[in-house]
Amino acid sequence: MYQKLALAIAFSPRMEALIAEARKLIRIFDGELVLIHVGTKTPELEAQLAEVLSRHCGDLHRIKTIWKEGKPTKTILKTCEEEGVDLLVLGALKKEGLLTYYLGSVARKVIRKATCSVLTLIDPKIETTHFSKVVINGTELEITPRVIARGLKFCQAEQSSQVHILNEIKLYGFQMATAGEGTETEVANTRRKLVQDEIQYVQDILDKLDQSGLKINIKVTAGKWAVELVRYCESIEADLLIMGDEQGLTFIDRLFPHDLEGILEELPCNLLIVK
Amino acid sequence: MESLAHQDVINLLLKLATMLLLARIFAEVAQKLKQPAVVGEILAGIILGPTVLGMIGPEFFEFLFKSSPSANLALDGIVQMAVILLLFIAGLEVELHLVWSQGKSAVSISILGLVVPFIFGFIAPYYFPDFFGISEDKKLLFSLFMGTAMSITALPVVVRILMDMNLFKTKMGMVIVAGAMVNDLIGWLIFSVILSFMGKAGNFSLINTIGITLLFTVFMLTIGKGLLNKVLPWTNKKLAWPGGVLSLSMAFCFLAAAFTEWLGIHAIFGAFLFGVALGDSDHLSEKAKEIIHQFINNIFAPLFFVSIGLKINFFTNFDLGLVLIILVISFAGKIIGSGYGALRSGYSPKDALAVGFGMNARGAMEIILGLIALENGLIDEKLFVALVVMALVTSMSAAPLMKWALKKKPEESD
Repeated sequence: MYQKLALAIAFSPRMEALIAEARKLIRIFDGELVLIHVGTKTPELEAQLAEVLSRHCGDLHRIKTIWKEGKPTKTILKTCEEEGVDLLVLGALKKEGLLTYYLGSVARKVIRKATCSVLTLIDPKIETTHFSKVVINGTELEITPRVIARGLKFCQAEQSSQVHILNEIKLYGFQMATAGEGTETEVANTRRKLVQDEIQYVQDILDKLDQSGLKINIKVTAGKWAVELVRYCESIEADLLIMGDEQGLTFIDRLFPHDLEGILEELPCNLLIVK
Repeated sequence: MESLAHQDVINLLLKLATMLLLARIFAEVAQKLKQPAVVGEILAGIILGPTVLGMIGPEFFEFLFKSSPSANLALDGIVQMAVILLLFIAGLEVELHLVWSQGKSAVSISILGLVVPFIFGFIAPYYFPDFFGISEDKKLLFSLFMGTAMSITALPVVVRILMDMNLFKTKMGMVIVAGAMVNDLIGWLIFSVILSFMGKAGNFSLINTIGITLLFTVFMLTIGKGLLNKVLPWTNKKLAWPGGVLSLSMAFCFLAAAFTEWLGIHAIFGAFLFGVALGDSDHLSEKAKEIIHQFINNIFAPLFFVSIGLKINFFTNFDLGLVLIILVISFAGKIIGSGYGALRSGYSPKDALAVGFGMNARGAMEIILGLIALENGLIDEKLFVALVVMALVTSMSAAPLMKWALKKKPEESD
């Protein structure tokens, strides 16, 4: 599903782990690799990279390294578009300042503006990470059917053991308080219906998809979906969170914290943003 | 502390019991007739008050509501608290993140749904002050008040209607809800400014009051919210649940209310803003919200709505011409404003009309607004009665009108 994978490298101590992770993804998707470094090309760096690549990607023929100078965000985004990349891999720190080498805001900007999907790894390992417990954002958004479809494909390729799709009841407290004007049975019925509706929404999407080899669990929460997603990922110790991004961010979105921003602030696990 | 005499205590308890009982009965009847409970509760008040009971059983009315001034004072305290709590949950209901996620159409529907009725409400008294019986010097303030009173949509009524019609989760439903939330927020901001104009025994000059009000608003929605986000996880973990979060949120609600009252704008504004900040926090669980809603909706709200009818004679203060004018302004403003906003956002004319009808529901907020204006001498009892009737009629007609607008669609496509 991902034919062309790009990795932004920064010659940090974690570069080797990131390259190993990218190599693993290339193996499962049978794709090609583009390495992007924003900075000056020096013989030392070249040698360092060649050495790491020989260790992990010696067998890989379809590999390309691009050295470019310029503003990190712009350069990464532009290169991805020029190369027709469909998955960009970034390393992230567990706390705020995501990419250490770049300014913290760079990774966020890349995630927001990229036209391809972006996979952010919080803790890349040389022995590579297996995404066995995956959480998919199933909250009702325009992009959700696509996120679930792509997410399931990713999980099938990765052979994930558990897939959790999380959907939330909007304004649960308010709706229940309103329903509280009815009798006890009516209130119970409303409660059941609220949960059932959300399960049905995800089920309807799933019915149209190939689910072979996957154990899928639909979970319904109440509250703000971004917060609930983070909490759920933490509680089951998820390996990967898959979600879409929000289109059409205007200046208003800059003033008020957005759902996606909330997740980027407290990245609970590895994150795949499907575009 | 002073205390109530034996007789006053009995009188107060009898008052509370009668009010709650009658409110419940009428709320149930209203719901059987597919009407919002608020409608029943207000009617209960009109029946208990001078309008009906005062006419048919004056002795009983005198005994219950006039015989004990201390008990009346105590009741007034309870009702004051009820209003503050009502505004607190009104704030709690405003979920800014939902508004942003609905994007442009919600903003356009709510802004137009606010501006157009505001202009309609403003122009009428501004150019025809004689009809509304206002003096030249109060004209501007009065017109501002009318504009605001015309523009706040009753969110709880709207949510109930949308849930009953199974529209809550649809795109249209969410847009209406988000639109009503923005209406609430901006409407109250404007009203707080009007309140500072009224210059109730405040501590600051007008400009200062407005400045501090805006500063307080910004503070509550940024730093205040941030502080709540830090404190709430601790409260949830270390204190009793839901006891901790309930008593603390009440305490801070009253603190914020006391602060705005001290500023010279009304206490309710502080409660409302605190509600918005708390409701928008990530850590206030939906379960806690449900509990807060339940006990305010079912105990304090009925007391307040019944108390309205107790204050005023709806029969002698009923001015048909005024009521009709207010109804026309309110219907026209909201339906044209919100409907046009929906039309611009790409809704079909029928759907846009349905959005307009939905946003037309007014309720508690107009009444609270009217009551404050009445207490401050800005409006007279006749206009207050007209506003209450307007709230009742718009709330009652919203659901049938929306159904009618949406039903017409299939016939058209035949």
